[in-house]
Amino acid sequence: MSRFIRRALMTGATAASLGAAPGIAGAQSGTPAGTTISNQATATYSVNGTPASVQSNVSTFKVDRKVDLTLVAQTGTTRVNLSQSDAYLTFTLTNKTNGTQDFLLDPDQQNISFPGLLGSDNFDVSGLRAFVDKNGNNTYDPGVDDQTYVDELPADRSVAVFLVGDVPNRNDAAFAHASMHVTVARGGAAGVRGTVLVEALLDVLDDPGAEDIVFADGDSDGAAPGDAPRNGQARAYAVFEIGDRAVDLSVVKSSRVITDGVNATFGKALPGATVEYCLVVRNATALTPATGVSLTDRLPTETSYVAGSLKIGGTCLLGGGEAQDDDADDANDARVFSGSYDPATRTVTAGVPTVPGGGSVAATFRVTIN
Amino acid sequence: MQRRLLLPLAAVALAAAASAAPPPAATGAGALDLVGRVTRERRVVAADGTVRIVELPATGAAPGDRVTVTLAYRNTGPVPLADLRLANPVPAGLAYRGPVAGVPEPEVSADGRLFAPLARLVVPSSEGGSRAAVPDDVTQVRWRLARPVAPGAGGSLGFRAVVK
Repeated sequence: MSRFIRRALMTGATAASLGAAPGIAGAQSGTPAGTTISNQATATYSVNGTPASVQSNVSTFKVDRKVDLTLVAQTGTTRVNLSQSDAYLTFTLTNKTNGTQDFLLDPDQQNISFPGLLGSDNFDVSGLRAFVDKNGNNTYDPGVDDQTYVDELPADRSVAVFLVGDVPNRNDAAFAHASMHVTVARGGAAGVRGTVLVEALLDVLDDPGAEDIVFADGDSDGAAPGDAPRNGQARAYAVFEIGDRAVDLSVVKSSRVITDGVNATFGKALPGATVEYCLVVRNATALTPATGVSLTDRLPTETSYVAGSLKIGGTCLLGGGEAQDDDADDANDARVFSGSYDPATRTVTAGVPTVPGGGSVAATFRVTIN
Repeated sequence: MQRRLLLPLAAVALAAAASAAPPPAATGAGALDLVGRVTRERRVVAADGTVRIVELPATGAAPGDRVTVTLAYRNTGPVPLADLRLANPVPAGLAYRGPVAGVPEPEVSADGRLFAPLARLVVPSSEGGSRAAVPDDVTQVRWRLARPVAPGAGGSLGFRAVVK
């Protein structure tokens, strides 16, 4: 399965607004909105040899509020499990306005798959909701990150925001696309959700007392219709991907006599004979590996375990595989698999990290008939 | 007799000349009229949909917008004004870009003490030593007029800038 992961990219570049000069905007939002810029000149001259000077008038204007923001998904897909509650996608919101703003968060299901994101949307998480990372740890903490809008984000600062949902228990669920929609709102009052900003008219002579509000944001999702340039909004997309699914595992056990101490070939199950047991675990689910598989087998009565006989990864008939020691310490086990024998419970344990989709792994061990 | 008459006349003429010249004012108020303006390019959409770029008084400008600072001077007195130097500091919040078209190249300064045309201005470099100044370094702009300004005469100077 080829993996193609791409971020939902945000350009966030300031639109070609009136007379924007290159090399000035850069990564900084600029002079704070409402700043008064004041101009005054002086002249010196001489009249008949006597020096004199004069000052001009003072002319002033206010710096406009130039609204801009970026919204970027931190990863294109996030792996979640079936039945997981409070699964979440993480985005980074950056305020590129030259002033402190509130941002309103609006979660949306995307039932039409967004091109460039992994997989085809075939389920929805339930209860899709949006929160801001109030404690700033880049992790959704239910009950702590409970604020549904971003409050008083200063210029040129970023914060994480989350799309949170509950994953259903459908075994055919694969991908759920969702989008975070953000709208710039008025700041200035901590703890109060700001009202949506409205752009001031630009082709009318300004009221010197009022503040101009200019939208300079780009189109955050390009050709997709979810956002448009200079609307004071941004939208970014990401995917919930089901990571763990049920796999169809089965175990088949067989045995054969190795030697019986009497017959050279075709050993019989006589007292003293050595019998080899073979456990084969098979994963019948194609394309989905089973991870963390553990096989256990309790020895039958009247048999004794042959120490050090556990081998994993070979075949039943030809033997082979990785030899395992019998102690319970998995850390000192061989490279791939792990194994142990517990004399108290007469149980052999074989640890298989991965059974590939459609594949199988065999574990063999020997006992002697008492 | 004639000579005695001439002397008083000459004295009177001199006295009249002395009182006719206005006393030089300590600040020169009223002799030079100096008016500053800041204007901004605005898009104006006409009723038929055509868009023009016009210069309007700047009542608001956003970071990145281009503005023009102009300085109009006029000799409102009866005596020529010599050694006229017009100084316009670059306001805080604006970044200098260059003189307005048609205006002579001003002398600019980064530290307020060393003035030179921008192409010859040198500023301390962050690594020690010095480097050529760039427009963003300019904090002061001034023009020195070589010839005196006659009564009633004037002119207009200015520079372009960008809102930081």
